[in-house]
Amino acid sequence: MSDQIREQVSAFLDGELPDSETELLLKRLTRDGELRESFGRYALIGEALRGEGAAILTKSFALRVNHAIDGEPAVSPAAPQGTPERRWWRPLAGVSVAAGVAAVAIVALQQRAISPGLRSAPATAQNAVQNPSAAHEKLSYTVPDSTGETRSAIAPARLTNYVFAHSKYSSGLGQRGVLADMLIEDDEPQSRTPERAAPPLSPDVHTAP
Amino acid sequence: MTRALQNRAQWIVPCALLGALLTALPQRSRGADDPRQWLEKMNQALATRNYDGTFFHLSEGRVETMRIVHRVRAGRVTERLQSLDGSGREFVRANDELTCYLPDQHTVLVEQSTVGGPFLGSLPQFGASVNDSYRIEALPPTRILGRPVQVIAVNPKDQFRFGYRLWLDESTAMPLKTQLCDPRGQVIEQIFFARLEMPENIPDSDLAPTVHTDGMRWVRQGPSRDNASAALGAYRASELPPGFRLTIAGAQTLGTGSAPASHLVYSDGLATVSVFVEEPQSPAPAVGLPDAPAQPADAPMQGLARVGSGYAFTTVIQGHQVVAVGQVPAQTVEFIAHSVKIYGAGELPSR
Repeated sequence: MSDQIREQVSAFLDGELPDSETELLLKRLTRDGELRESFGRYALIGEALRGEGAAILTKSFALRVNHAIDGEPAVSPAAPQGTPERRWWRPLAGVSVAAGVAAVAIVALQQRAISPGLRSAPATAQNAVQNPSAAHEKLSYTVPDSTGETRSAIAPARLTNYVFAHSKYSSGLGQRGVLADMLIEDDEPQSRTPERAAPPLSPDVHTAP
Repeated sequence: MTRALQNRAQWIVPCALLGALLTALPQRSRGADDPRQWLEKMNQALATRNYDGTFFHLSEGRVETMRIVHRVRAGRVTERLQSLDGSGREFVRANDELTCYLPDQHTVLVEQSTVGGPFLGSLPQFGASVNDSYRIEALPPTRILGRPVQVIAVNPKDQFRFGYRLWLDESTAMPLKTQLCDPRGQVIEQIFFARLEMPENIPDSDLAPTVHTDGMRWVRQGPSRDNASAALGAYRASELPPGFRLTIAGAQTLGTGSAPASHLVYSDGLATVSVFVEEPQSPAPAVGLPDAPAQPADAPMQGLARVGSGYAFTTVIQGHQVVAVGQVPAQTVEFIAHSVKIYGAGELPSR
């Protein structure tokens, strides 16, 4: 990112870029994928500097900021080296995030366990399956498994239908977020074979002529 | 008598002032500076105004450029949400039908929607229940894109939901910038406009999809028309995170198979979680190809997956596939999915 662009982005994020220049920056961002990536990192840095939502700086966040400043490859503690940090619709990312939120969940569990009428017996997805009859008797506030070993991969395409069906019931801004997320391209390569990428046929499915 | 009148007169003015003050106080609390009123104005603007804007969607350092076009004409709402880079995906909503074009997956999803809302979304009417789960406050005004904006924070009171920060244009109440924040206040998704116009008229051409659908697979989803769906619905979450309650229970035809799924919607007034429960499936015959071998049923899904800025948690309970999905923290979908219970006749709780 050149100094000029950097200044433009900074002014834009501060709401101080004139409309005419905003239009040009927008066009440039639309064309230039590399610039968009830089812009995203720069926006993160800006937020950190302004203290917007960055009161808690996670290690991965700090790494991303360092990456943006120094140009060093960002290595997330939650992702193996060489693996992009963000995997839209990719279950492995969910597992990584689950590990990240485990500490939060444990705190929530401890807090909730003292509330009257709430059970605290921990359980995992695995034992829920192995002992289904007892599952809902045991389960209440469940702690995500920190290792993710009990979780299995879920094909992203299999979840698309559920998310899509959910989107219309999402209230307000949540709906916009869900739909915007669905517009975002998966990081993983899409199958060239429609049969693999798309949901299985159902009676309401037809192929356009 | 005269003294009595004088005494009464002495009280009239203070009482009148007090009355005026008491009358004014509620108006002040719901006045122009009231954050809830700003949110309601935003609601109205998003639902009733024409707008055409380009915005950036930022999440974890990744940026996507998107365009939103929203038109209200003679009570008919048409919207188009389009990715300007990357996937080329598009959504088009024309009244009750939402069509999702996924050219990278060679698929078009069509949802017959009975409940609609603008793509950009609007917060629901803020009832008392929302106050139980969120703290809504006005932050110091600032400027975005050279325009004065009101900044509203919607902070979750616990770990089971996300929060929002909204920068609302003072003249139109349109959200020029929004942030989705995790329960600790850390931004996990951000949307801000680089261009926003509110034209009097929007031509049809701006609302037409640009995706070529030749050879694409069309998948239609929607409320089940199957009579057997009446038998569905014997499922409920036996326990819920604080503030959540059942808002919708019905049957939903998904693209994943011919059998309708039971669809439960739980909401705290702002965050929403959908729970889908599907009965065990036997191998499905191939559709349209009578001589083709039956397709094996998909293996049940189990585990947590991040879907956009939200989560999906899948598990199996008594052989039933349970999927909970929502723009909420992971622990919320996991909690609700695990608490799903299968009830017998007459045992179904109302909540």
